[in-house]
Amino acid sequence: MPSRREFIAKCVRGGLLTGLVVLGGTLMLRPRRDDENCKFNFACGSCSLSDSCNQAEAVSLRSTVWQLDPSKCIQCGRCATACVITPSAVKCTHAYVMCGYCDLCGGYFKPETKTLTTAAENQLCPTNALKRKFIEDPFYEYTVDELLCIGCAKCVKGCDAFGNGSLQLQIRHNRCVNCNECSIARVCPSEAFSRVPANKPYLLNGFGTERLANDKTQQEG
Amino acid sequence: MKHKILIIAGLALFFSVVTYIAHDLFSNSSVKYSKSNPYEYDIQHLNKFDSVSVSYNENLAFRPQMLEMHGVATDYSDRIYVAGNKFLEIFTKTGNLLKRIALDGNALCITIDPDKNILLGMEDRIEILDMDGKLKEKWEPVSQSSIITSISSDGKNVFVADAGLTSVYQYDISGKLIGHIGDKDPHRGIPGFVVPSPYFDLGISGINEFWVANPGRHLMEKFDFEGNLIKSWGITSMEIEGFCGCCNPSHFTILKDGSFVTSEKGIERVKIYTSEGKLKCVVALPQSFKEGTRGLDLCVDSKDRIIVLDPVKKMVRVFAPNIDSKNNN
Repeated sequence: MPSRREFIAKCVRGGLLTGLVVLGGTLMLRPRRDDENCKFNFACGSCSLSDSCNQAEAVSLRSTVWQLDPSKCIQCGRCATACVITPSAVKCTHAYVMCGYCDLCGGYFKPETKTLTTAAENQLCPTNALKRKFIEDPFYEYTVDELLCIGCAKCVKGCDAFGNGSLQLQIRHNRCVNCNECSIARVCPSEAFSRVPANKPYLLNGFGTERLANDKTQQEG
Repeated sequence: MKHKILIIAGLALFFSVVTYIAHDLFSNSSVKYSKSNPYEYDIQHLNKFDSVSVSYNENLAFRPQMLEMHGVATDYSDRIYVAGNKFLEIFTKTGNLLKRIALDGNALCITIDPDKNILLGMEDRIEILDMDGKLKEKWEPVSQSSIITSISSDGKNVFVADAGLTSVYQYDISGKLIGHIGDKDPHRGIPGFVVPSPYFDLGISGINEFWVANPGRHLMEKFDFEGNLIKSWGITSMEIEGFCGCCNPSHFTILKDGSFVTSEKGIERVKIYTSEGKLKCVVALPQSFKEGTRGLDLCVDSKDRIIVLDPVKKMVRVFAPNIDSKNNN
């Protein structure tokens, strides 16, 4: 018959063991970045040992990358929260060729804005990532600060509803770790994510956007 | 006793840490994959106008047999013309198809002149057809960048709105370009057109005067045939009185009493303004259209029925005043 002391000691040991199992499981399930060690310079985020990586598989995976199709995107905001990296690899991209350079930009201003100034309370972007610059009456240029952009798509939705749709979400491949299974694609309600050829990694929508897509590809080498 | 308390407190602390870790792990994922999202931008409330009464009823709708349609017009006997990609279709005023004419391209706008000619804006050029649909004339394009979005004629002059080059052209009926109207000219007090998207409408309203929608400035501007700006009206607002978004009104037409019927994109609505630019009544609110509908071209017939081309539902929709609003008037 075990004494009370032994019983409590067993409980403590059992509790510690359970805690260790939970912690170990958490650490094992957490996605990792091993791009620094990968001999193929490929950050799939799915393995921890680059030596055990199959080269053919890596090359095959590398030949395609994830991208979202703006024509399917419903601007739900999940790209900001579902990506494995923070801030998200999805950014707002501006197709200038489609932009109307509007004074009252639906992507920049909150709908009920009374005065068209850059005051914080007028701005739709939660991180001040969309910048407005006067060009000439009545035209304004809008640029995206990608370091601040979290891919929430508020500006994209505003531009799409009230403008020309020149603001579009795209996965930026200088940030994307190209997971085997994209965590945003898993929760995307409109199934806008798909794998595209790595040499044509951008899917901008609308007239004259091919050149912009090529520029982005060249920027990222 | 003291040891017991310490052990119980230790165990409680340990289990609270484990519970916290587990909660953190699972609550994170539940936020990630839940349907709600803190960054979701809801614009549905902008489409609600509960206190606004609608003075028109939709009493006829019919579907043209074309996939892409852009322009609608009526003629002297209230026949309805619908122009689109590759086809022009002519309907009776009750929506029965009379004729289907094949076109060489994409017609973005249409008008019928007093001499019974069908004038079509074919992206970058004008084509004139007789009432049988036979091609009479084809005018030279002004530019390859032209996007001709509206055309109107009084039988002598033809005014053409070009959204691509942000200009209005005045032609004589033979197709000779007389000049540009409404280009920015501070000396004449003309602010210039701002056309961020390919919606740029105009219409002749009387002798020696016509109106142009200046969508980027949310204004309706009246010019004479010499190009002088006579007057303008319009306010920027999401409210029912104003024009919303980057560029509205996208289309307009003029009733017999000089009132304006306007349509907007962004917040899809059709409204009537007095000739002085004061809101008179509402024809249709956003709930009458699919979200994202744009390109609601308008025309009126001799009975002042308002004919709306809905390119998303791919229908011609005819609105007439409801009985209550008739009695009030």
